[in-house]
Amino acid sequence: METMIDSRMIMTDFLAALFDKLDVAAVAAMSKLPSGEKAAYTLFTDKSGLKECVPFFPAMPANAARAISKLTREEAPSKTVAVFLRPCELRALTELIKIKQASLDNLLIISYDCSGVFPFQKINLSDETKLNAYQDAVSTGKNSEGIRPVCAACTRFTPRGADIAISIVGRSADQPLVLSFPSEKGQTAAKQLGLDVSKTVEASPAVESLARERKTAEEALTEQVNESLSGAQGLVNIFDRCISCHACSYVCPICYCKNCYFDSQTFEYFPESYFTRMTAKGTLRMPVDRVLFHLGRLSHMGISCVACGMCEDVCPVNIPVSQIFKTAGSKAQAVFDYIPGENSDDPLPLLAYAENELEEFED
Amino acid sequence: MANNETDIKIVAFLCNWCTFTAADLAGTSRLKYAPNIRIVKVMCSSRIEPVFILKALLDGADGVLIGGCAPGDCHYSKGNFYARRKIALAKTLAESAGLDSDRIRLSWIPASEGPKFAHVVNEFTEHIKNLGYNPARREVYI
Ligand code: SF4
Ligand code: SF4
Ligand code: SF4
Repeated sequence: METMIDSRMIMTDFLAALFDKLDVAAVAAMSKLPSGEKAAYTLFTDKSGLKECVPFFPAMPANAARAISKLTREEAPSKTVAVFLRPCELRALTELIKIKQASLDNLLIISYDCSGVFPFQKINLSDETKLNAYQDAVSTGKNSEGIRPVCAACTRFTPRGADIAISIVGRSADQPLVLSFPSEKGQTAAKQLGLDVSKTVEASPAVESLARERKTAEEALTEQVNESLSGAQGLVNIFDRCISCHACSYVCPICYCKNCYFDSQTFEYFPESYFTRMTAKGTLRMPVDRVLFHLGRLSHMGISCVACGMCEDVCPVNIPVSQIFKTAGSKAQAVFDYIPGENSDDPLPLLAYAENELEEFED
Repeated sequence: MANNETDIKIVAFLCNWCTFTAADLAGTSRLKYAPNIRIVKVMCSSRIEPVFILKALLDGADGVLIGGCAPGDCHYSKGNFYARRKIALAKTLAESAGLDSDRIRLSWIPASEGPKFAHVVNEFTEHIKNLGYNPARREVYI
């Protein structure tokens, strides 16, 4: 466990210090939108906009790793950008680095132990009662009522791989930020911030109790998904209302392809092909390959699924996409002993092999 | 009923250099094997994407056979090592979806082993017959 220190700064001080003491060129974090109801991931290049900044607002309008990928894909920024990322967003960024869709150079990553987010449609800046109840849950280390199911079942909610980690679970919102600096970049930042490192703070037991609650929820979710994914009939039951809009892949941070395979000419057929299928089956629901899209997408990115919940958030017909992808993805990850987002040096399982392995899948 | 299903269909993805050649050899040696397989030739077993296998199963194939060179003997030196990982993924996903990963078989069959090819096809066909039709076969809403 990294040493945590009392920074004696509340969020606004900390944000200002990023510009004043760390001399960052920009800060990327959630901010209030003019409507006053929603928030969006935003890039600030000076302090003037910071009063609208709400880094912990419990919604995920987009997985921020996508934004950071856009910012850094062509080349690394020439100056330091401080980016706030939830742990699952940081894991997604790590996966994107492996496929050369993002770079860590000149990023200062700020993350925090995450209490989860609400479905985007279900939370507004003006929802005081909900937000207060959420804050109570954060400070007592409990799952808040109404957060997304994959958040409630997320067991990787601590900020691994961050340069600066903020400890918020088990702490009240108005107390000064408790920070730790796990990386070299972070250590340098700590010095520049001029913090008194002797002001150490104990880890809150609330983190442990939240971890336990999450573990139990994860087991229940796994069981529930496994029960529903029961062969051809089960797949039809789950996906029969899917309208094949593919929104789930468009928002997925791991689905980075400019032209998705499942939107490609590969899945355009000549009429004869439809007739052949119909002869075998007698009837055919159109468009075809609906379940194939989901299983196929799982085969493309399931090993890297960070269970961020975006796909489920945008599904217009409420299919529990991310619960399915989290569950099936974890099983696939386990085959290769792979934890997505754990370390940017871990090779992607399908781009590596060992000469003697996986015998149980032969013959 | 399961044993009488004579029109069981198995899609076989075979690599050009080993297993397809073995299939050829089985043919020219006039070895008899079950007529249930439909062969798709690919240059290397690593060309076989999990999507191909999942599509075959969702579209109603009763079994999917993947044949490649034995580990260490790949024409492209390491393609089959990558293939093994992809098949492991396909099987794991099929299992997660409740699609019975037992309908997928990965066999290494060298070019010179026509009899082994015939044996694997017969054994796998028998195995699939025992499992019966793939329930996805008649599923029109899948
Ligand atoms: S599949 Fe869904 S949960 Fe998984 S990384 Fe993509 S958007 Fe997130
Ligand atoms: S489903 Fe596959 S091809 Fe489509 S965007 Fe995702 S990874 Fe790319
Ligand atoms: S977002 Fe929902 S409806 Fe659209 S393709 Fe994905 S699962 Fe189907």
